[in-house]
Amino acid sequence: MVALDQLKRTFFDECSELLQQIEAGLTDIREGQSTDDTINAVFRGVHSVKGGAGMFGFDALVEFAHVFETVLDCIRRGSLAAEPDVVDVLLVASDLLSDLVQMSRSGETIAPGSVSECRKSLERLIEGDKVDDPTTAADSSAGLDGIDFTPVRAEAFDCSDGIRSYTITFRPKPEMLKKANEPLYIVRELRKLGELDLIAETDALPPLAELQCDHPYIGWTGTLRTTATSAQVEEVFEFVVGDCELEIKEPILAESEDTTESTAAPPRVIEHAIAAAAAPLPGGPPQNSTPSSTSSETAESASGARVPPAKPAATTTRIELERIDRVVNMVGELVISQAMLGQIVQDLPEGISGRLSQVLEEVVHHTRELKDSVMSMRAQPVGSVFQRMPRLVRELSTKTGKKIRLEMSGETTEVDRSIIERLGDPLTHIIRNAVDHGIESPAERLAVGKSDEGTIRLAAEHRGGRIVIEVSDDGAGINSERVLKKARERGLVNPDATLSEDEMNNLVFLPGFSTAETVSDISGRGVGMDVVRRNIQEIGGRIMLKSIRSRGMTIQLALPLTLAVMDGMVIKVGQDTYVMPLSAIIECLRPARSDISNLIGTSGMLQLRGDLVPLLHLSDLLDISSTEGESDESVVIITEAGEDSRFGLIVDELCGHQQVVIKSIEESYGAVPGIAAATILGNGRVAFILDVEKLWDLGASPSSGTARSVKRSSAAMAVPN
Amino acid sequence: MPNAVALKVLIVDDQNSMRKMTRMTLEEIGIRHIHEADSGRQAMETASLQPLDLIISDFNMPEMDGLGLLRAVRGHPVVRKIPFILLTGRGDRELVVKAAEAGVNNYLVKPFTPATLRQKIEQVIGKLS
Repeated sequence: MVALDQLKRTFFDECSELLQQIEAGLTDIREGQSTDDTINAVFRGVHSVKGGAGMFGFDALVEFAHVFETVLDCIRRGSLAAEPDVVDVLLVASDLLSDLVQMSRSGETIAPGSVSECRKSLERLIEGDKVDDPTTAADSSAGLDGIDFTPVRAEAFDCSDGIRSYTITFRPKPEMLKKANEPLYIVRELRKLGELDLIAETDALPPLAELQCDHPYIGWTGTLRTTATSAQVEEVFEFVVGDCELEIKEPILAESEDTTESTAAPPRVIEHAIAAAAAPLPGGPPQNSTPSSTSSETAESASGARVPPAKPAATTTRIELERIDRVVNMVGELVISQAMLGQIVQDLPEGISGRLSQVLEEVVHHTRELKDSVMSMRAQPVGSVFQRMPRLVRELSTKTGKKIRLEMSGETTEVDRSIIERLGDPLTHIIRNAVDHGIESPAERLAVGKSDEGTIRLAAEHRGGRIVIEVSDDGAGINSERVLKKARERGLVNPDATLSEDEMNNLVFLPGFSTAETVSDISGRGVGMDVVRRNIQEIGGRIMLKSIRSRGMTIQLALPLTLAVMDGMVIKVGQDTYVMPLSAIIECLRPARSDISNLIGTSGMLQLRGDLVPLLHLSDLLDISSTEGESDESVVIITEAGEDSRFGLIVDELCGHQQVVIKSIEESYGAVPGIAAATILGNGRVAFILDVEKLWDLGASPSSGTARSVKRSSAAMAVPN
Repeated sequence: MPNAVALKVLIVDDQNSMRKMTRMTLEEIGIRHIHEADSGRQAMETASLQPLDLIISDFNMPEMDGLGLLRAVRGHPVVRKIPFILLTGRGDRELVVKAAEAGVNNYLVKPFTPATLRQKIEQVIGKLS
């Protein structure tokens, strides 16, 4: 049953929102920032989860939610105080509820014992006696038996005097059309009498091939609300009575007090024909069933009072992500087509291209806006990742016996969904590290004069076209000597090398590095910071680490806002075209030969406003022949690979700035050092997008085998166009 | 006898999935004119803009809950007579009593089957054809 499955999906989506509300509410209560509304909202959340779970038959979920809800109800009513230890139980319960929802979603069977412990703690809070017997939990009417309630008959259907509802069934027969009677006119006449609400019956419609255009297949059923008498209604059908199936009943409610004279009368049936349902072809009479078209007249005629115009009701709508992704892809293709168009216009003779390029300018402008709007649709607040962290910290602090407070800010900062999805793991790892290695035990903390409770701060903000996420703690910081010792033991660092404090700290990013003395349950499972760094780099981000001994450390992630489209600088080296991310470019210049000094062991240094900037030849890095060679025409792009590492990249030509659609090549070609992705240019050719940081690394180790594999890939990927 | 096809019903629930679920159940018993509102405020707007034969509202909603909506409906000059069925969770005696005082026509305990829904509706507006 597709519809039901879809409903379940909607329900579970709503559940995740509800669960977040529940957790956020409980956290507020725990921190003493709650109002009366907070507990109500939490109660409502749990109640909604329970209600929905009941509708879909997730009994185990219902049962647990019910006990949870009962405790919340006690707090709401004031019979139970929201003491911290009570709220802690509730937080555990909310975690468990979230697990149960997850299990119900994935179709896992929930073992009866799996919730018993938490359930018992909850029941203890309500002193046992108030909880319903669990055996009755599945019985939907439990608790309402014996209640003194008599259903109340509707006293009247119509809200104002004199208005009657007629139920009308109207199915034209072929004879009706033959006599040149148009059903549309009948419907229009009916509408003149009052508010008409019809539903078309299309069941009799044959397949298109068998459709006879002079045969009416459609019939209508509906209501007419009018002050007109039944005679007046019948009069409308005066000329077609014999040529259609017609039924006019009045009023629709036999018990209506307002229309007592007619209640005793049986429904007035004018004619009941057996002929097949019939109606003119689509495009015939308009259906008058949309609320908006009839609503305002109705309200006025019904009450005689003016009703304020309807405000836009819903301001949000749920869209399947797939659909948005399709739009994103189409916009991507549009960007490519537009670039192609631009190319063609450029090649046209001046006279023709002038006006065309003006229009194209507009197209470029709109495409950009379209792209931005679509991207903002895909954007999600980072809060959805942050939300998982309080639970993580809670669980970890219980496990480690450390006291930790998690402060979060900037949860509403938005970033592309694809980045959100890949942010969870690295962030979890960083926080695990902070708890496990960063924050000290309460005793240790007190000994060094800190408060026994450690703090981890998780913050997000937009900064210069990127999103910056910072995790900082006030723990012990990195023990850089120990890091260096470990690195030397493992041969990761030359024994003679002297490193700065910062350099030592950054050793933790080296593959296969784990500083924990003992491999703990929490972190240090062989997956180290190098994996975190790789994850972040894969989504085009940078990771930075700052640590102050015994004061704490900060890890900063700088991420792009989107992964689909970016601003690029199209450059040329020899015959090949490449794209450089605009965000990586600091400046482009054409230096005088005298500004470049050739130092031994380097490929040159550029004197730039008093600084020396190392230079790299892109042609050397990628092993391609440059047409310009060492000529004065070479362009230097000053770029930044990570913090404080500027270098100049020598290319042959700058072809201009362009928005490019990022197409991943990793799936087909694996990771190619120096190449981040590919894109399709205006001329239909594939160009590689450069990975600036990797290029810098390549420059440091010139004997890499990258170059050839890049060339091969380039040839293999030429697109016929 | 009220005709199920002609009946105009408004479903009020803040949860989309629950509205759709109720809608499906209503459709199963032949009701085809179904409006939806996701809040008490929106329900009042919808109700005042077109004739309705029945309101089925969930109790558990933020801001204006089902009881608040019931009271608003009963206090409204135009829509006050619209039959009202309140959806409740199990075990909510007090609520049913309060709702009865406020003039509810019937209540329905979640989860419910099409048969129960039909029965509850028929208790209010008469047997459906």
